[in-house]
Amino acid sequence: MRKYLPVVLSLIVIAVTGYLVVNKKKENHSAVTENRVSVKSVGTFSPQRSCARPPQFLKQLNIAQPVVIDLSQKRFKGIALLYGKQFQKALHPKTWEQYGYFGTYTVDKTGNIYLVPMPFISIFPTTFNLQKNIYKLESKTGKLSLFMHFDDVIPNANNPYGVEAIVYDCEDDTLWIAAIDESDYQRQKGVIYHIDLRSKQVLQRVEGFDALSLQLLRSSQGKYLLAGSARESALYAFSLSKGILNEVPEKLLTLPNATEHIRKIKVKGKNRLELQSIPFSYALIAQTGHRDRTYYNAVWNEKQQQWKIKKQ
Amino acid sequence: MKRENKVAVGILVIGILVLAGYWFMPQSSEVTQTEKPSIPVEERVILPQYEKSIYQNIPEVQNYLADIRKMIQKGQAILPLQRSELDSNAQKVQVLLLADPEFTKDTKQGEKLLHNDMMRILPAIISSLGEKSRNICQSHTCYQAEKYNFVTNTTTRAIVDTDTLKVLSVERYSGMQPDISLRLTHIAQAIALNAPEVKKELGFTPARKDITMANVRGTMKESPCENTSHLCVAPTFSDHQKEQALWAVVDLTELKLAAAKWAGLGKTATPACIGERSLQNRYIMKHFCQKDSFLEKNGWKITYRLTGSDGLEIRNVTFRGHKVLTSAKIVDWHVSYQQKGGENLDTSTETYIEGRRVEFVKGEDGNYLFGYNDAMGCPLFSTSVVLAFNGPQVRELKNGDGFMLTQDFRNPKWPMACNYRYENRFEFYNDGSFRVVGVNKGRGCGDNAIYRPVMRIDMAVDEKENFYSYDGEWKLWEKEGSEKVQRSFLSNSVSETSEADRYAYKIVSAKDASRGYYIEPNHGQFNDNSRGDNATLFVTRFKSKEGDKDLLTLGSCCDLSDDGVERYIEEKEDIADDHPVIWYVPRIRNDAREGHEYCWADTVIGEDGNLHVKVWPCTVGPKFVPVGKR
Repeated sequence: MRKYLPVVLSLIVIAVTGYLVVNKKKENHSAVTENRVSVKSVGTFSPQRSCARPPQFLKQLNIAQPVVIDLSQKRFKGIALLYGKQFQKALHPKTWEQYGYFGTYTVDKTGNIYLVPMPFISIFPTTFNLQKNIYKLESKTGKLSLFMHFDDVIPNANNPYGVEAIVYDCEDDTLWIAAIDESDYQRQKGVIYHIDLRSKQVLQRVEGFDALSLQLLRSSQGKYLLAGSARESALYAFSLSKGILNEVPEKLLTLPNATEHIRKIKVKGKNRLELQSIPFSYALIAQTGHRDRTYYNAVWNEKQQQWKIKKQ
Repeated sequence: MKRENKVAVGILVIGILVLAGYWFMPQSSEVTQTEKPSIPVEERVILPQYEKSIYQNIPEVQNYLADIRKMIQKGQAILPLQRSELDSNAQKVQVLLLADPEFTKDTKQGEKLLHNDMMRILPAIISSLGEKSRNICQSHTCYQAEKYNFVTNTTTRAIVDTDTLKVLSVERYSGMQPDISLRLTHIAQAIALNAPEVKKELGFTPARKDITMANVRGTMKESPCENTSHLCVAPTFSDHQKEQALWAVVDLTELKLAAAKWAGLGKTATPACIGERSLQNRYIMKHFCQKDSFLEKNGWKITYRLTGSDGLEIRNVTFRGHKVLTSAKIVDWHVSYQQKGGENLDTSTETYIEGRRVEFVKGEDGNYLFGYNDAMGCPLFSTSVVLAFNGPQVRELKNGDGFMLTQDFRNPKWPMACNYRYENRFEFYNDGSFRVVGVNKGRGCGDNAIYRPVMRIDMAVDEKENFYSYDGEWKLWEKEGSEKVQRSFLSNSVSETSEADRYAYKIVSAKDASRGYYIEPNHGQFNDNSRGDNATLFVTRFKSKEGDKDLLTLGSCCDLSDDGVERYIEEKEDIADDHPVIWYVPRIRNDAREGHEYCWADTVIGEDGNLHVKVWPCTVGPKFVPVGKR
């Protein structure tokens, strides 16, 4: 009987090895499958202290904080700063109306406010040209001026939108800007620009994404540029490495209502985003009031690797 | 080496080779995926083509409406659940809650009862309980009950201790919809099964067994209708072989099919993607904004499309082979409101009402005018604020003497104040006549509005045409110009032929004056309750940039001496034997006086306890009648 021991042993070795190989392969396969359907994670994150400072001219005018930037276009055209008890006082020089209506803004570390335009209710002869620019409200003087003009932004009757979203990067003193003018019903041809504030030079130009809102996020996995899509009710993330944007975004989450598009993104707490949405259809906007917006809390559950989205 | 050892080595070598082969062999599922890639299903949208009245003949709907009417007549506002949906405890809870003042508090508006449905009564779910209720319900039996208020779009949830028959809590959720009752589920299924659009799409008459009811509201999620003030559900017909499903969005507030959509069975077919409004928008964009459509009926051939800001445009229209129109459309609606107190008006800064910039113009007698310019057009990628709903429709005329092509444009929030609804309509008659019609359905910001639709009509009678007006005799317009369309000369021109009596203008071929069209302004003679056009007419020389393509808003909303077209006639160019274009700008004053409403809409609570929109349209526009018989 002993003489068959090598044969028996070799069979046992092959059987055990076979068992391990089959199981290992199944494991690998299921891992691949799971990876395919798993939700994209940007890691854990917390609110970062902003470097933005209030405009210096407020001090000269003896206007104390808190001050609210009003771009609702309901009481004031352009920009107005609301302050005082229940924000009933308003600072709104006539010159702040000269560039039409503004959609959103960002503030830099010295208190300059950068504004992007918005077409509103009716088209005037100046409307399309105004959508090609970024505007700057000077921190020291409160003077509103044209900061930068984009020749390649060309709004038209089928898409009156131009420059649409903006966010300031405290780390390298740059602006991230999105324009959506080139898109039409079939094609998404929006552009994200990375702009050096001092030289006004375009550092990077990423094509093919319509962003209605932008926000920077630093997480356990690195730095990201978050973008609310103008075409769908979804939030995307572009990873950022050494100031260079990865041109392929990852979809993070989708809101429950298909007509709502994310207009503002705020990091409100540990793993918590506040998303403000508006109905957006690349047609003219008539309503900009508070009741026309919807607010969502999007909380990232690291354990379950999923977003929980709840209307506020 | 011994023989046994050789065999063992052989087994090891062969075994290792087999395992290596297995390791590098692709998994079966991956092979399947490679061989049979999933085919993306084209998402196709179907909009309802029938009035909601067709659903009121369905027995389930008839009985439901009759029960609601009986209930309101009895002075009750909550339609109870049927006994078959309730266990014995739930029956007690229903009786208790129907008499509970807190639970029924929101069922009246003034003296009017508001339609509510009890939706479900079931043992309380732990996550629905507050702290106080949770403590009690640990030792007692508790039930939760939910009702839905169809008028205020509010869900009320009560927690009841059935051991002591006490109401522990009542909470209201505004803008939220609950899970629906079994009765409403059956009604939704019946509507989906009876919808002609669904039968046509499926290619057979479906049965109840073919439906799966979409789990669209696990607890109180958003309704799939994007008109979220309505209660909507989405019964689904799945075709597993083709890996697609037909989603029928049923509006239970209106009791009708709201829209339907073919979609894949994958994860993309979530209820969030099938909202009524987004379905409509996609359908309208694909079929009417991205391409021309073609209609051939009763001898007429019409190309039509929706524009970015000039409403519904018809182009290249022929009747029995003869060219009639190159283009006709309404490019703009000027909306102005007249107010007293103009002497104190400060126009140094801009004013906004409901988020809209308001233009002010000082008038005479201390009056002033303010208002907006409204562009109508495609719902996506356009410069419009009054957007196309439902796509163009073809309907027979009341008298049976022709048909109309019509398009509905609305502010999404109509009929709320400061929201508008317009209809662009083209009527085509069997005798070769046609009429360009603008219909205003209110409601606007007040009862003192003046509406001015700007109509552009480019005829195609011949390459060279002449335009005439009639003031006792036909007078050729040599140059561009404008005039108020008067009525007085018509009744005075008794010596003229009856034909010339009726028509204020004509446009004819420069070569052959017997070929062309008379223009019959509307003075209220078309039996549509119109109070007349009171129009200004302009004739300009054709220029491509003057409206042949999409025109952005034109002129002032509120300066009544400026219709916008004046800028095209400043140079008074020659138009005789040329290519004249007609611009026709009616002027309508709205009326909100009870019994005299005109260009007005109102929302009222009806005898059935539900909201009903009442519309008093005003209809304007000239008729074009062929000079010679075709």
